[in-house]
Amino acid sequence: MSRNIAVLGKGSLFTAVCRFLRERGFAPLTLEQLADHDVCAVVDVNPGVDGQKRQQLQLAEARISPQTPIYTSTLHRTATEIASWLSVPERVVGFSPLGLEQFPVLEVACPLQAEEVKGWDQHLRLAESWGKQVERVGDQPGLVFPRILSLLVNEAAFALSEGISSKEEIDTAMKKGTNFPFGPLEWADRVGIEQIAAVLEGMQREWGDDRYRPAPLLKKMIYAGYVGIAAGRGFYHYQDAKLGG
Amino acid sequence: MKSEGLRIQRPAVIGAGTMGMGIVEVLAGNGFSVQVVELSQDLFNDALQKMDKRLLRRVEKGKMAAREREEILGRIRYVPAINNLDQVDLVIEAVVENLAVKQEVFKDLGACTSPDTILASNTSSLSITGIAAKTTRPERVLGLHFFNPVPRMALVEVVAGMATSPALVEAVSEWIRTLGKEPVKVKDVPGFLVNRVARPFHTEAYRIVQEGTAGKAQVDRIIRSAGFKMGPFELQDLIGIDINYAASVSVYEGYFHDPRFRPHFVQQRMVESGALGRKTGKGHYSYES
Ligand SMILES: NC(=O)c1ccc[n+]([C@@H]2O[C@H](COP(=O)([O-])OP(=O)(O)OC[C@H]3O[C@@H](n4cnc5c(N)ncnc54)[C@H](O)[C@@H]3O)[C@@H](O)[C@H]2O)c1
Repeated sequence: MSRNIAVLGKGSLFTAVCRFLRERGFAPLTLEQLADHDVCAVVDVNPGVDGQKRQQLQLAEARISPQTPIYTSTLHRTATEIASWLSVPERVVGFSPLGLEQFPVLEVACPLQAEEVKGWDQHLRLAESWGKQVERVGDQPGLVFPRILSLLVNEAAFALSEGISSKEEIDTAMKKGTNFPFGPLEWADRVGIEQIAAVLEGMQREWGDDRYRPAPLLKKMIYAGYVGIAAGRGFYHYQDAKLGG
Repeated sequence: MKSEGLRIQRPAVIGAGTMGMGIVEVLAGNGFSVQVVELSQDLFNDALQKMDKRLLRRVEKGKMAAREREEILGRIRYVPAINNLDQVDLVIEAVVENLAVKQEVFKDLGACTSPDTILASNTSSLSITGIAAKTTRPERVLGLHFFNPVPRMALVEVVAGMATSPALVEAVSEWIRTLGKEPVKVKDVPGFLVNRVARPFHTEAYRIVQEGTAGKAQVDRIIRSAGFKMGPFELQDLIGIDINYAASVSVYEGYFHDPRFRPHFVQQRMVESGALGRKTGKGHYSYES
C-alpha cells in the first residue's frame, strides 16, 4: 500500500502534521502533487471557517479512489457537515489535529452518514498505525479536548480584557492554583488563536448557545494577525519566532 | 505602585478549620508567632492535633527535623476571642463561608485591632467589598485566597476590594512571596480568577457526557493525554462534588446567570445522591476497597 498521504491546510498545524507523518515513515504530499501519485489517505487540517476547506476537499476527492479515507479536522464543523460536501461521505473520519505530535490519544468522530456503514472502523487502522490510542467520541465541533481548552482560553480572554489580572498572572494562577500544565493564554498562543475561535464559533453555531460566544478580544487578535507563536505574536510577543521566520 | 515595605510581625488567624490551620502552619513554619481564634479551646486543640499529625509524619519521613516541629508548635497560641488578640498587625480570617458570620467577625476586628492592622479574608466566593464595608477602614481590608492544601499549594490570590488601597495590595503581595508562595493580584469579581477561569473545565465536561459526546472515563483519559494531571471527573472526586457544585452555583449567581457559567443539573443530582467523591467512597468513580 502507498505510504503517501495528501495533507491539506496551511500554517503551523500543516507543518506539524507533515513532520509527524514523515517521522512515521509516510510521505506527505500537497494537493497539487496528488494528481500524479496514489495516496493511502487524505489528512485535512483546515479549521474550515472559510470556503477553502470545502474547495480543497472536493478537489482532493476527485483525485483519489472511493475507498481512500479522508481524515478531516472537526474543530469548527461536524464531520457530518463536512461529509455532506463529498460524493462518498462514509469515508470521512473527523479528528482533532491539536497535539498530534504530543498526545498519546487521538480523538476521532464518525459522521452520521457512516454510522450504520459496516467497516467504517477500518479507517481508524491508519491512526492506530501512527501509534495512537484512538478515542471515538461524538461528532461535535471541537470534540472533547479542543472544546474544553477553547472554553478555558475564552474565559481567560474575558478575564484579561476585563482587567481582572495581567496575562502573566492569569497563566501563573491557573498553573499554580489548579495544576494546569500550561496557562490558558500561553496555551492559546501555541495552538493558534484562530483554532480556539473556530471551536467556539462552531459550537455557538451548532448549538445556538451564548455560552460559546467568543471573547471580542479573541476576534480582535485575529483581525490584527496576532494569532500566536507562529505569527510572532499572540497574547505574548515571540521575538525569536518572528526573526527566525 | 510604590510598596509600603511591609513588615509583618504579629499575625493572627481566625478559624482553625482546614484552611485556617493550613495558613497557621505556613506562618509558623516561616518563623512567625501566630495567634489563633476558634469558637472553643476544644475545637482548637483538635485542629492543632490534626496539624501535628501531619508534622509528625514529615518528621518520620525525615523531611522535617524533630526540633523544627517543636518550634512550629511553640509558635502557635490559642486566643479565646477576637477582643483578646494582642497587638496584631495582620489578621487572616478563615471561618465558615457565610457572609453574615464573616461580617460579624470583621466588625469585631475593626473595633478590636489598631487602625493600621491589615484585615484579610480567605473567602473563596464572597465579595471582599461587601465584607470590608462592615469595618471602619475598608482600605485596609483585602482578600488572601489560599488554596487547599495550603502547605502544598503555592498560589495565593490577593484580592483588592473596591476600597482597598492599591499600595497595600502591592505590599501584601510582596510579603506573600517571602512566605515562599506565589501571589497573584486579582480584582474582586465572582470566583476571583482561578475559580472563574476553571469553571468550564468542570461544567463543560458534564455537558459533554450528558449530551452523549463521550463517557466520563473517556473524557478523563483524553484530558490527561493533553497534559493535565487529572481529568475533570477524577479531580471533582478529589475536591468533593458538593464543593465543586457550590463553586459553580456561586459563580453563576455572581454573574447574574451569564450562560458561560451555567452549572449542569447532573452536578445537582450527584450531590442529591450523596455520592460526593472520595470522601464518601463514591463519586463519579467508586473507591470502595
Ligand atoms: N476548603 C477549601 O478548599 C477552601 C479553599 C479556599 C478557601 N476556602 C475558604 O476558607 C474558609 C474556611 O474554609 P474551611 O474549608 O477551612 O472551613 P472549615 O469548616 O474547615 O473551618 C472553619 C472553621 O471556622 C470556625 N469558626 C466558625 N465561626 C467562627 C468564629 N465566629 N470565630 C472563630 N472561628 C469560627 C469553625 O469552628 C471551623 O473550625 C471559607 O471562607 C472557605 O470558603 C476554603
